[in-house]
Amino acid sequence: MEAWTASGRRGISRRANRGGEMEPIYLDHAATTALRPEVREAMLSVWGEGLGNPSSVHRLGRTSRSRLEEARERIASILGAKRTEIVFTGGGTEADNLAILGRWRAVGGAGEFGSVACSAIEHKAVLGAVRQAGREGASVVILGVDDRGEVDPSSVAEVLSTRPAVVSVMWGNNEVGTIQPVAEIAALCRAAGVAFHTDAVQAFGRTKVRVDEIECDLLSLSAHKIGGPTGIGALYVRTGVELDPLTFGGGQERGYRPGTENVAAAVGFAVAAELAERERTSEAERLTGLRRRLETGLLDRVPGLIINGQGAPRLPHVLSVSVPGVDPESLVLMLDLEGLAVSSGSACQSGAVEPSHVLVAMGRTGEEGTVRLSLGRTTTEQEIADAIERFVAVVDRARAHASA
Amino acid sequence: MDRKTVLVAMSGGVDSSLAAALLVEQGHRVIGATMKTFCYSEVSGPSRTCCGLEGIMDARRVCDRLGIPHYVFDMEESFTRDVIDDFVREYAAGRTPNPCVRCNSNTKIPDLLRKGRMLGADAIATGHYARTVRDGAGEVRLLRGRDERKDQSYFLWGVPKEVLEHLWFPVGELTKGEVRERARALGLATADKPESQEICFVPTGDYGDFLAQRLGPEHPALMPGRLVTSAGEVVGEHRGYARYTVGQRRGLGGGFQRPLYVLGVRPATNEVVVGTAEELKRADLTLGDVNWLGVPPAVGDRVEVQIRYRAPAVPAVIESIAPDAVAVRLDDPQRAITPGQSGVIYRGDIVLGGGRIR
Repeated sequence: MEAWTASGRRGISRRANRGGEMEPIYLDHAATTALRPEVREAMLSVWGEGLGNPSSVHRLGRTSRSRLEEARERIASILGAKRTEIVFTGGGTEADNLAILGRWRAVGGAGEFGSVACSAIEHKAVLGAVRQAGREGASVVILGVDDRGEVDPSSVAEVLSTRPAVVSVMWGNNEVGTIQPVAEIAALCRAAGVAFHTDAVQAFGRTKVRVDEIECDLLSLSAHKIGGPTGIGALYVRTGVELDPLTFGGGQERGYRPGTENVAAAVGFAVAAELAERERTSEAERLTGLRRRLETGLLDRVPGLIINGQGAPRLPHVLSVSVPGVDPESLVLMLDLEGLAVSSGSACQSGAVEPSHVLVAMGRTGEEGTVRLSLGRTTTEQEIADAIERFVAVVDRARAHASA
Repeated sequence: MDRKTVLVAMSGGVDSSLAAALLVEQGHRVIGATMKTFCYSEVSGPSRTCCGLEGIMDARRVCDRLGIPHYVFDMEESFTRDVIDDFVREYAAGRTPNPCVRCNSNTKIPDLLRKGRMLGADAIATGHYARTVRDGAGEVRLLRGRDERKDQSYFLWGVPKEVLEHLWFPVGELTKGEVRERARALGLATADKPESQEICFVPTGDYGDFLAQRLGPEHPALMPGRLVTSAGEVVGEHRGYARYTVGQRRGLGGGFQRPLYVLGVRPATNEVVVGTAEELKRADLTLGDVNWLGVPPAVGDRVEVQIRYRAPAVPAVIESIAPDAVAVRLDDPQRAITPGQSGVIYRGDIVLGGGRIR
């Protein structure tokens, strides 16, 4: 039994299972991406200097308050918003929920507004909140998308007569990468006196996201998608937009999100946001180039491969491909075993692979194996080349299996 | 040592956890897998916990400890079709199904092999208390587990022979006590986890309620009818024949002169037949949907037959064999031979095959 005790804390016998396994390539940056060193440093220094409660009267509290407000200011400035329009939340999901349920509960039902609308390809956080609004009396309207995953602004125009408390269409889709015509949709909503929310979690830092260039009322952000820490996000709330909070307590974040503020995380978020914005143009170009290489490589070597959303404007870092003739459930697993970390359509809590609601909305049957590959700051040309090899190897094996 | 790639079915329980650990210790390349059979959120109840999520999380922790990958396979569709639908159909037809047999034999294990092959596995493994050996002719035979009280070979009679070739049982030579001890020694999180007893898709144990949901509360199988003796005398009312199983004594009402037991149900006339303990005994039974795990026995061969999980196998003789059925005569009549349950035919420790009691 010596093998058992040899390996210490982690694995009982990691050696037995290693040997011959390749260094994994991480192409799942849209799920999350590594904490940036500058972010870590900034957060450590916040903790190191002594963290007070920003609401306290004394000096330690005031220092923390300054740090928090400075972080808020920096994020607001990148967005083109006022400092007072940024509410820190516990992440993108919370921001989405606050936007949708906060709007419904503030203005829905009794008065002018009777519905809540969103696209069929929204993140589950938005769909979940919309569903809940439905349980709270809202009439739910889901906007379809075309086969490239784009919302048609004219379909939005049609729903405005149902008087939505909020219309929610994401800036860029997380699964397929399609960039939505948010400027047009925002303008339509504004003209009709309807609040427009956009989930910019995936788009922020990849494409220009500014609230002074489109007429949106609410916008969600998440820190960990851009190399900040998990556990913090933000909701932009345009001055004058009526919104109820989801939780109640001490009045922090102007009452929108009470609770002692996560100062270190807010600072980390601000650092990540600034870096992302500074690098945005060059990174977008670099990642677009790498993605093109990846696309071409896969299209050349995998007969029948489908690029989802092809032809639509897409975020530079996301690539969704479907492979006919392979077992959908096995594809992601086999890629993992081959040392390529990617994402399947939608993982439910259990970890089982489920067909993606986004692809279903785009007209896919769910019979092909679909994976999302997403690139990041650390992705290199060599990784792309290796990724293509591993992907092709897996597909060949999977297809041989299916036809055996 | 011949290093193989093995896909292990892990429920999150201690048996399958140790099975995986033993294979890792032996130097094989092990991949852990949990089969998600259905979504709990669809079963009635206020709890939002999903698909045995706890089991999945437990299995994942063990795999992390072992340093092996862990995946979750969605088997909801085949499970619903092969196990749940069958369960409902059988009860509606007046029989008492054994869904765990059906799941293991028809769904879980064959699916596991299919997935395993796709992932490049040479073999699959489970935490069952059972064993396989190669006989003189090189054929694989299924045996009882070494721990008589925990032996689970009864549930495996339906595993196709081709699948058995590639199925390993790492804990089959151990007793339950030894399994727990070794799991504890390895620091496996699930070492002291209590065993689950109920049918996984009826967590409340109230299968009557479950059937009402699936069949509709007005289904004939759930409607009251007459309680009759084998002589035809009406002695009471029953609450829907699907709620009764052969040998049952409770739920018959009361006030009888002597204890009465369910002898059987007649769906056609919506009657439940009751009788004395003596009348419950039968010596003849026929098995349908038979699966042989080797060369079938011949007519006249002496074998042992087990008609219930917890019952001992009793001596019997093969009376006749048809393509899909086998009839046996037990040396001593047994009580409560129940249509729908599994009858498993042994020769000593070897499982010759089994079928569903007609």
